[in-house]
Amino acid sequence: MPDTLLRAEAISKSFGPVVALQDASLELVAGEVTGLVGDNGAGKSTLVKIISGVLRPDAGSIVFDGERVDFASPAAARAGGIETVYQDLALAGNMAVWANVYLGRELTVGPPSLNILDKRTMHAKSAAMLKQFVEQVPPIDEPVESLSGGQRQIVAIARAGAWGSKLIVMDEPTAALGVAETRAVEEVIKGLRQRGLTVLVISHNLDQIFRITDRIWVLRRGRVIGSRETRMTRPEEIVSMITGATGAAGGA
Amino acid sequence: MASSREGRALSGLVRRHGLLVVFILVVGLMLAVKPTFGTYQNIVNILQQNSILGIIACGMTFAIILGGFDLSVGSVTALASVVGATAMIDIETYGIPIGIVGAFLSCLIVGAANGWLIAYLGVNPFVATLGTMTVVRGLIYVATNASPRFGVPYSFTTVGLGYILGIPVPVVIFAIVAILLGFVLHRTRFGHYVYAVGGNVVAAAEMGVNVQRVRFAVYVLVSACAALSGIILIGQTASATPQAALGYELTAIAAVIVGGASLGGGHGRMIGTIIGVFLLGVVANSLNLFGVSPFWQPVATGLILVGAVAADGFHKRGTFAHAK
Repeated sequence: MPDTLLRAEAISKSFGPVVALQDASLELVAGEVTGLVGDNGAGKSTLVKIISGVLRPDAGSIVFDGERVDFASPAAARAGGIETVYQDLALAGNMAVWANVYLGRELTVGPPSLNILDKRTMHAKSAAMLKQFVEQVPPIDEPVESLSGGQRQIVAIARAGAWGSKLIVMDEPTAALGVAETRAVEEVIKGLRQRGLTVLVISHNLDQIFRITDRIWVLRRGRVIGSRETRMTRPEEIVSMITGATGAAGGA
Repeated sequence: MASSREGRALSGLVRRHGLLVVFILVVGLMLAVKPTFGTYQNIVNILQQNSILGIIACGMTFAIILGGFDLSVGSVTALASVVGATAMIDIETYGIPIGIVGAFLSCLIVGAANGWLIAYLGVNPFVATLGTMTVVRGLIYVATNASPRFGVPYSFTTVGLGYILGIPVPVVIFAIVAILLGFVLHRTRFGHYVYAVGGNVVAAAEMGVNVQRVRFAVYVLVSACAALSGIILIGQTASATPQAALGYELTAIAAVIVGGASLGGGHGRMIGTIIGVFLLGVVANSLNLFGVSPFWQPVATGLILVGAVAADGFHKRGTFAHAK
């Protein structure tokens, strides 16, 4: 019996007259990479924003790590162990890689009131932290803006993993990347799973979903259609669930 | 082959330390062609004349790295000197300390107003500080009837005209401010957050940086620097003029930009600002030594500013061409 890390129960969310989610329930199994798929407007991003504390549901509840939670903000969700890697990367391009790894969590030395940065320790530790998830650590001293898009995404994902989050949420992590960089980011996601972290990833790329996930949940028009174990299903079945051609055998 | 590697090393040096190279070239050239340039008296002159502006520029560096700037610093400098001088002239006992405290407090109120408008109300820094610049200057004219105040106790001129170990007091104060604020900018968490907010305000907020508090604190800090400059100004003239420090805001911004900071925020260093201040100062001094009319000085400042930004843009394009 696998442990459930997060359970969303009967989540509903409307924006004015538009119903984005209706009675949506899903479970994330601890230590798995879960994919969330669906057509545009199916409610994927809304569900992810509710899990990461950006939005609050109109109805329904979320149980995370055995406790019912109601995150008021992304910061609260982060403190609770849910880290979201945003598409805009949440990195300061002008600052070095190590400074981004420690952004908002700086180590200091000397008298506490002076807040003097312990650059040497942060420098050394950030390299080791990234090393857990990537074989080729991006240059620690370089400003992030000098890195490629893939390297930046890797820094952002590895930072989330390194800070001891239990669940890492990613919305289209490779949307803007080339083939080689996409593969590198996928390797990092696999590295997160090897370290025992749970991952929820939204992607439009079904090939990618089949490459990296253990389980796939399908949304359609704000409702959860169901889930499949990745190795027990085929892309055709997932596509038919997404489009509403119900059942693997077809039929409307 | 070796020569091309040397060439590349040289071009790398110029790219990374271009400002310093230009500064050393200008100073070296002046030392060679104008013997009076290198005299103790002239060096002290340059240091002294640029200290007040330099202190303002140190504060301005924070605002520009933050992605803003502060147009009110000239008015705030004048405010400090008028408030301070008035107290020193009119109050019999403890007039000097009361004047210093009063000058700082009045300026910090302006800084807090700037910070509140920009950080908490989201007013554009140009609009907010243009507003306070105009309002403060107007209030000074109203309060003084636009006439200068004379009669500051002579003892206070030590602050403006005195020497410590052969170095003018304003220069010593400037050095202390530059080292202190350089330390804050480059070695403390607060300085780190100034870069983070200037570089990517969304990322900084996501990672838990209190963006509003950082912005507020920076504008208060800029005003404190301007207040200090205004107090030194009292010491240099034993008086206060309502028209003091007109246009300092733009010269300070120019020095910071020449020093390598960008108005887009996120980039710049304290040492760059200090070299920027003295590059503009040395050029002004050189024109003076050659007997060129002082009216040419803004022309030189403007040309250096545009040249520095153009050179920076040229190098940035080069870098991108390589990265792609």
